[in-house]
Amino acid sequence: MALMRSFYADFTRTFGNVLFAVCLLIAWALLTLLGVLVEQGKDAGAYFSDYAAPLARLILRLDFNNVYHAPYYVGVIGLILLSLAVCTFKRVIPARLPPLRPMRIEKIPLNASIETRRSESDARSFVEAFFGKRGWQVRKREFGGVEWTFADKHNWARRGVLVAHVGFVIIAAGTTIYWARGFSGDAAIVSGQTVRIPYTATTIRLDRFAYKIQPTMTKSGIVYQPIDYVSGVTVTGKDRVPHERTIRVNHPIDVDGTLYYQANYGFAVRLRLSHRGARRTLSDGTYAIGDSFTLPGTQRTILLEQFVPTVDRRSREPSPDPRVNDPAVALAVQDHGEAVGTALVPLRATIDVGDGWRLALQRYLMISGLQYRYDPGVPLVGVGAFVLLAGLVISFYLLPARLYIRVEGAAGRSRIGIAATTVKGYDMFEKQFADLTAELREVT
Amino acid sequence: MHEHMPIDKALMILALSAYVVSALALIVYFFARDAWLRNLGVPLAIAGCIAQFAQLAARYELTHVWPLLNLYGSLSLFSALAVAIYIGFAFRYRLWFIGGFVIAMAALFLAYGVTWDEGTMPAVPSLQSYWAKIHVPLVVSSYAAFMVAFIVSALYLMKYYYENALEPAAEYAVEGGSLRAQRASVRLDTPNIAAAAAAGNPVAQWINAMPTLAQLDVLIYRIVAVGLPLLTLGVITGAMWAHDAWGAYWQWDPKETAALVSWIVYAVYMHLHTRNAWRGLRSAWVSVIGFLTIMFCYFGVNIWISGLHSYKV
Repeated sequence: MALMRSFYADFTRTFGNVLFAVCLLIAWALLTLLGVLVEQGKDAGAYFSDYAAPLARLILRLDFNNVYHAPYYVGVIGLILLSLAVCTFKRVIPARLPPLRPMRIEKIPLNASIETRRSESDARSFVEAFFGKRGWQVRKREFGGVEWTFADKHNWARRGVLVAHVGFVIIAAGTTIYWARGFSGDAAIVSGQTVRIPYTATTIRLDRFAYKIQPTMTKSGIVYQPIDYVSGVTVTGKDRVPHERTIRVNHPIDVDGTLYYQANYGFAVRLRLSHRGARRTLSDGTYAIGDSFTLPGTQRTILLEQFVPTVDRRSREPSPDPRVNDPAVALAVQDHGEAVGTALVPLRATIDVGDGWRLALQRYLMISGLQYRYDPGVPLVGVGAFVLLAGLVISFYLLPARLYIRVEGAAGRSRIGIAATTVKGYDMFEKQFADLTAELREVT
Repeated sequence: MHEHMPIDKALMILALSAYVVSALALIVYFFARDAWLRNLGVPLAIAGCIAQFAQLAARYELTHVWPLLNLYGSLSLFSALAVAIYIGFAFRYRLWFIGGFVIAMAALFLAYGVTWDEGTMPAVPSLQSYWAKIHVPLVVSSYAAFMVAFIVSALYLMKYYYENALEPAAEYAVEGGSLRAQRASVRLDTPNIAAAAAAGNPVAQWINAMPTLAQLDVLIYRIVAVGLPLLTLGVITGAMWAHDAWGAYWQWDPKETAALVSWIVYAVYMHLHTRNAWRGLRSAWVSVIGFLTIMFCYFGVNIWISGLHSYKV
């Protein structure tokens, strides 16, 4: 039992220490920075090509290629939440301004003494009214026959830190809900095709996709600026009724609580294959750029490397213009894994790919890249973010302060002694205190 | 045929010229403390700031493209807001002495921004959102506030280390003789500097004319108190925009994560500032580091690291 008590004491002392929290925040910042510097989520080969082999191995072994989902990263955030909870219960909630008691005013760094011709009781009433009018909560106490006046302002704002901590916890709860119950993914839909979205009862057919490019002359030359991506889709949700919808960047659609976003676009081509003059069929003949297929009965592979929207008419080389005017597809042919050639094949042209095989590019099709996401934690994260912000604003802008006021009178004159303490030290209140006492001195 | 200069270009030149003269006047004021230099520099800074906002408005009016969507536009707003925040604090807390440094930095950033001006381009689809009019100004204004905090922090550190570098003054001697020996980084007096200033040391005289270390510490805190809520609100509005544009409020994009790093550093600043022993010197260093992370977030990520926020031109 004693051991448990000792452990508990050590635990609360460590996790309740602000400097421990600071150490955790620094660890969090450094790990986050690491994730910025090391590109995340790439294939292992990418790290070996970007870094020296020992460094690449280190990155992969220590999960630096996936820092934000590594156990140690989540662990640090967990420790921060734990520290935050302990700090909240051990330091933030119990923190109070000192009890109302007499002080040696001249010993408090922020102090002032004001002489007035008012009587003691008149001066005391005046001071109480003065601070009361300015939003101070005035209280009187008597200690050993001596009357003291105390004035508090923004006492409740001590809870600002608590509010900020609560906001952080709410955000963490919101993100946890996504991990537990949410899902997300990508769907690349070729024009005219329908896909079923995993985890949902939704199907989406891409009726059309269009993108707009605006050529703009800049100081560095012509820039082809994309200005719109738009998907016209037919969505069938839980109600089993098809609905025509439009998805644009910044304008997602909501289907049964899952949001669908316009993410990117691509191209596919419809091919026609023939072998020694006879037409041959491979799947439905539609291939996305990046796809490859092997010719039946051979070790020959055709890779659709790149879609070229416009081929320069003079040079027959790819033009930088991304608008589709005179399209072609860059093909790479491999035999037994060895590259045997590449070609830029215009649309509607036929090319001999060897062994009696001929390939015709019939037409191109647009692919719309959609993202979908179901995140039931979003409202909670939003609330948490604004609670956190409110906590910061309260902590920064409302300074809980207490004034200790003692009025001493003799022979129709009085001396008002005032001292101030705050929860953020004296320097923070120095100017306000000087202004306040100057005003009081002037009106008395 | 003589071609007229577009109004936005003319305003930009006016703003830059005003800043250069203002910065010179206020830097000389920092050393000489002649009131006429301040009376020259501050109105010029205000004029430059107004010209910059007018330039941004004129650019928007001429092109109908929100002018903050590239590095040129955002740096223009950044420098204008840095000057505006400085002017606000200067009037409130008599911060005239830092004006030269703030305005010189603002002018440098503005001049650097001009080098990124590629002319007018329509916004890419993800930037065609009303959030651009909310998120970008909020984030940029937080950067501007942190720049002003950085300059005050640098001056704090200069004063602190200069005090330590001087021989302990006999008539002001206290136990330990230096701030470090007394383990007090926040204090009202810098006796060694005061003694050296009284003895006619010109460097000590102009450092001594600055506010006390404690006052500088409070100033840094007050400026961070403007920047951190703005950065928080900027990150929140950015998350709301990302939720509309990219499908998730948080994508671990380099810009987002770099902003998170800056936010954490300033959260560390806040935490340290709650403890007497860590106020002053240490928190001033954290403010300096915070601004370096802001610069990394602003330039490093936009220029060198590709991601969803790579909007250079």
